[in-house]
Amino acid sequence: MKPALAITAAAVRQILGLRRAIIFGLAALAPALVFLLTAQALADEAALDRFVAMAVRLYFPLLVPIVALIMSASALGDERRDGTLSFLVLRPIPRSVISASKYIGAVLVAGALNAFGAAALGIVYGIDTGSWGMVLPLVVGGFVASIVYAALFVPLGFFTDRAVLVGLAFVLIFENGVVSALSGLSTLSPWRLGLSAFSGLANGDVAPLLADNGLANLSSLGAALSWSIVFAVASVMAITLVLRRRDLA
Amino acid sequence: MTTNPALVESPTVEVDDVSKWFGQKVAVSNVSCSFGPGVTGLLGPNGAGKTTTLRMLTGLIRPSQGAIRVLGVWPRTSPSVYASVGLVPEEAAVYPAMTAREYVRYAATLSGVDDAAEATDRAIDTVALDDAADRKLSGYSKGMRQRAKVAAALVSDPQMLFLDEPLNGTDPVQRLHLINLFRRLGDEGRTIIVSSHILDEVDRMSDRVIAIVDGRLAAAGDVAAIRGAMSDIPYRVRVETDRERILAARLLEEALVHGVSVDDGVLHVETDDLAALGRRVPAVARDVGARITSFRPEDASLESVFRYLVRKR
Repeated sequence: MKPALAITAAAVRQILGLRRAIIFGLAALAPALVFLLTAQALADEAALDRFVAMAVRLYFPLLVPIVALIMSASALGDERRDGTLSFLVLRPIPRSVISASKYIGAVLVAGALNAFGAAALGIVYGIDTGSWGMVLPLVVGGFVASIVYAALFVPLGFFTDRAVLVGLAFVLIFENGVVSALSGLSTLSPWRLGLSAFSGLANGDVAPLLADNGLANLSSLGAALSWSIVFAVASVMAITLVLRRRDLA
Repeated sequence: MTTNPALVESPTVEVDDVSKWFGQKVAVSNVSCSFGPGVTGLLGPNGAGKTTTLRMLTGLIRPSQGAIRVLGVWPRTSPSVYASVGLVPEEAAVYPAMTAREYVRYAATLSGVDDAAEATDRAIDTVALDDAADRKLSGYSKGMRQRAKVAAALVSDPQMLFLDEPLNGTDPVQRLHLINLFRRLGDEGRTIIVSSHILDEVDRMSDRVIAIVDGRLAAAGDVAAIRGAMSDIPYRVRVETDRERILAARLLEEALVHGVSVDDGVLHVETDDLAALGRRVPAVARDVGARITSFRPEDASLESVFRYLVRKR
């Protein structure tokens, strides 16, 4: 247990330096700030409409993936580039422990930053409307999306130095393009899985507004959580396999 | 009892007909050797295949052909063997945001050391980094980083230590300290494999040398034996003069001169007796009216040693 905790703690520290924490912490406040500036003096119904618009246009499809991409891609990618991978793998610990610990480190950092952004948006909405029921669903949704994104981007960062570019292409072209056109693929879109979790936990007023934004075919909360577990397990297994089989220097 | 100088009696590390290629490039070719307790130098010029060999020994990369056994097993499939192995890689391999103490303690924790704090202090003390141990590694010089890496490798008290160019960037005092440390660890019965492209370093650290040139095993044995084997090649001397061809023709008449060549206006002379040649050349130059501007043995360089080993193969 000790090595796993040590690797996770080191991963968190390595992924989230002070500069990154400040930059991405401020970036995570963007949806809340935009809501604050644009939702002044709106009626509760219109404020909810604006809140959902922030979530589906800014928070889930842009902020969550970008934060998760940058944080996750560096979890193993930095180790490979900096030559510290040998320090990690030449230890008497199973490779599965290394991959799981690294993955958890990435999820904790990306999830915490995205949860921070979600909480800020939910709190601003709560201050504006007096309704606080959106904070937890949005935090959970952001965290679920972070789990799935990390499952994709941690291995991606290991395989290529251009992980950010490839990841952005995935988000902008596949998720925000192809999946938008073919809604049957929505389970392959991490932010839609996060949005599904949000929708499943939020009150019933949200679902129609999501449908108005072209997001009617979302998974159920249970399905979103199940898929996120499937992605996480598959990712850890894939990283473990790579660490076992691939040349590591 | 083995007669092959590349093999040892009680090996802890065995390399059996190992090759490694990356695409079309052959990095290591059909190397067979073994390592046992004591310090063994892995000698070779840059790009010879030393780092690739060390990486294969530790299981970081797989051989394309052949087998490697560390304590009887292939490390990649038996990670438990890493409890007995320490590696000091050539590349940076440190976490810049950590202090040396955090870095060494991290190594101790990952290696399952019982009292990580105590082992960390001891390892830091061993490499004489106490004063700087709580400074971030990002502010360390290359030599200090090397010592931090050695401390991280030693913290689990490993039976085997693989060191890839461990003296790079160290100052003379640090170098002497590390050389003495490696010798002491070897004397304690540990298997220490040190790669270097500097003959003098290897000579000072190792009782035994495995020389690799162009990815192939070029020579093996104790340092004295390899040097002795090289005594059959003539010294090569570079002479710069204004009348190189006349001087070359005249020097060929000297019994101590085995051969001459002129290349780009520079005279190259081969001899068995460097000191005698040094005395004779000025006299001959005077006789033919040539002015000597430079007289320099070429064979003092390591490259010439490796050239010899390549030719010998």
